[in-house]
Amino acid sequence: MRSMGRIIRSGERVALSHYHLDPAQWSDMLCVPGATLPLISCWADDARAYVLLLEGDRPILASTVVEDRRYLAPSSRFAGAEWGERVSYDLYGVEAMEARGNGTPALDEGGWTSTWPLSSRPGPASGGLRPLGGSHFLRPEQTGLSGPLDLSFEVLKGKVRAVDVCAGGAHRGVVSRLLGKTPEEAMVLVARMTAGGFVAHPLAFARAVAQARGQVPGPGVRDVWMILLEIERMSLHLFDMARTARGMDAELLATHCDHAREAIAQACAEQGVSRRLMDTVNCGGFREGLEIVPLAQAVHAAMQPSLAALEELHRVFASRLNGFAVLDVRLAERFAVGGVTGRASGRSMDMRRRETGMRLEALRATGSSSGDARARDGLRLAEIRDSLKLMERILGSIGLDDDEPAPDSTDEGIGVAEGARGDVWHWVRLKNGRIENLHVRDPGVSVLPVLGAMLQGCPMERVPAALGSIGLSPAGIAL
Amino acid sequence: MKGLRQTGPLSLLYAFMDARRWCPSSEEVLPRRERPIGLYVLETGGCEGCFMEIESLKGSAFALEQAGFVCVSDPADADWLLLTGAVTRVCAEMVDRVWRAMPPGRSLIAVGACAVDGGPFPASYATLGGLQALTPVRRAIPGCPPAPQEILRALQELARI
Repeated sequence: MRSMGRIIRSGERVALSHYHLDPAQWSDMLCVPGATLPLISCWADDARAYVLLLEGDRPILASTVVEDRRYLAPSSRFAGAEWGERVSYDLYGVEAMEARGNGTPALDEGGWTSTWPLSSRPGPASGGLRPLGGSHFLRPEQTGLSGPLDLSFEVLKGKVRAVDVCAGGAHRGVVSRLLGKTPEEAMVLVARMTAGGFVAHPLAFARAVAQARGQVPGPGVRDVWMILLEIERMSLHLFDMARTARGMDAELLATHCDHAREAIAQACAEQGVSRRLMDTVNCGGFREGLEIVPLAQAVHAAMQPSLAALEELHRVFASRLNGFAVLDVRLAERFAVGGVTGRASGRSMDMRRRETGMRLEALRATGSSSGDARARDGLRLAEIRDSLKLMERILGSIGLDDDEPAPDSTDEGIGVAEGARGDVWHWVRLKNGRIENLHVRDPGVSVLPVLGAMLQGCPMERVPAALGSIGLSPAGIAL
Repeated sequence: MKGLRQTGPLSLLYAFMDARRWCPSSEEVLPRRERPIGLYVLETGGCEGCFMEIESLKGSAFALEQAGFVCVSDPADADWLLLTGAVTRVCAEMVDRVWRAMPPGRSLIAVGACAVDGGPFPASYATLGGLQALTPVRRAIPGCPPAPQEILRALQELARI
């Protein structure tokens, strides 16, 4: 019996995990009966359409040619592909045939200097901003998020029924700025994609580039990367917890989160790196002069004493978060929602578990799988505890060798990093040492299709608090 | 901070006492003005790093209010507009809308490299390349991102002008 994975592997293998499918194979993949592999991301450019899927815990990339600016829509099979199809239309003018959804712009709200700006044949500018559909709106400055995101709602009796998102305000054309650069040149910008991943995005990119070059980072580099990612995880979890607490008038908990986060930032600054670890990861490893052991020890010493108070305060205030902004596990599975949001719903996906050299015994975080804001915050705290344990374990055996084989160099690679807000994916294709093509999937993208369900029944005035508990980054979504 | 010495009802008291202990000392703050300066913060399309550092500054770890500032949620109550991000073309209208909603005597302050000239996101099909594309930037706080302490210090300097 044919499976989706088998159909993909019947195509031409062009890289470690990338298969070119002809249009008939692409159609077969979308129509094959049986299980659907979880979709990580979907995108298209002038030449090809892509779907990045998970087979077990391994990525598999399928692509097909775009003919006459059209391709058969992955959303006909993968519900979560709709956002990527809309983005691809806005940037390249390529149309997904038989797509689900209303096809409204994802990024192009008008106001750009051209239509389909990344296409080989861009169109003229469309003029001023287009009004959004929907009966109720939250203006970008009213969402309570860290960046501009346009949200329009259908509302019944003051409560949300459906949500539509447009992220044009946060779109900076990041991908177009990276094309043609060497990975080393690109890293400066990759490190500034989103403050929700000052470490996670560069790390996913560095891993993708290493795979493309047929390299494997040594165990010392790998361990440094792991520690940096855990420090970022603790800091961002505290940020999201503080924001959630303030949304629920739990100021005392927010105060303790603020101080713990600031203690981590100061520990980083005192060790000679940036407060939020910006520019610490590079393609070959990490910033010159970074002393990881004292950094990890300083951060551990700053964070560990705060944990008991945070856990106690969470217990005191947690009832306020019961049943708030719930994500059902079936939706989490269907749309491959990762990170705390997915795991708090019961989707047990943590890409750290597949990493070579991971000290798995430290990753023990479990908790409620009720999918609500209480479960998310409980899990954030448990993950902070795990991060501290993981840092201890790594410090106890830092740089221990293993026998991970290097892949063949194919000039194409996929990298992933389990960031604080979920799995960050980068796909890169190099040509003559420069970036010929690139795709970035921030974990916020997988939340967009389930946002309506999570906010359903939520009073409009509590939407900012709900968004805060989910931890969305418009900068990461829009790029 | 010491961890909680025990759990149960007393733990809340200890947590509250810890929070009180973090109050800044008097030598860290400026003399009070008659009225605090109202700050409205607007992110216009950057990495959000500067916005999140201002959010840290607004939180409990810093003495923003003791330094004579108050963050407001309505531009009509604001004296200063703190703008972060590279100013995407879509956000230009939002900047204009917020600016017009502020009362006379308003000031505009670019926070972070992006807000001044776009930083790593110069002008493109989607971005204007910072505030300088809209107006001369007279007040700016450099950094990528500036730390909350640096932002606070710069705000205090600007308040003295």
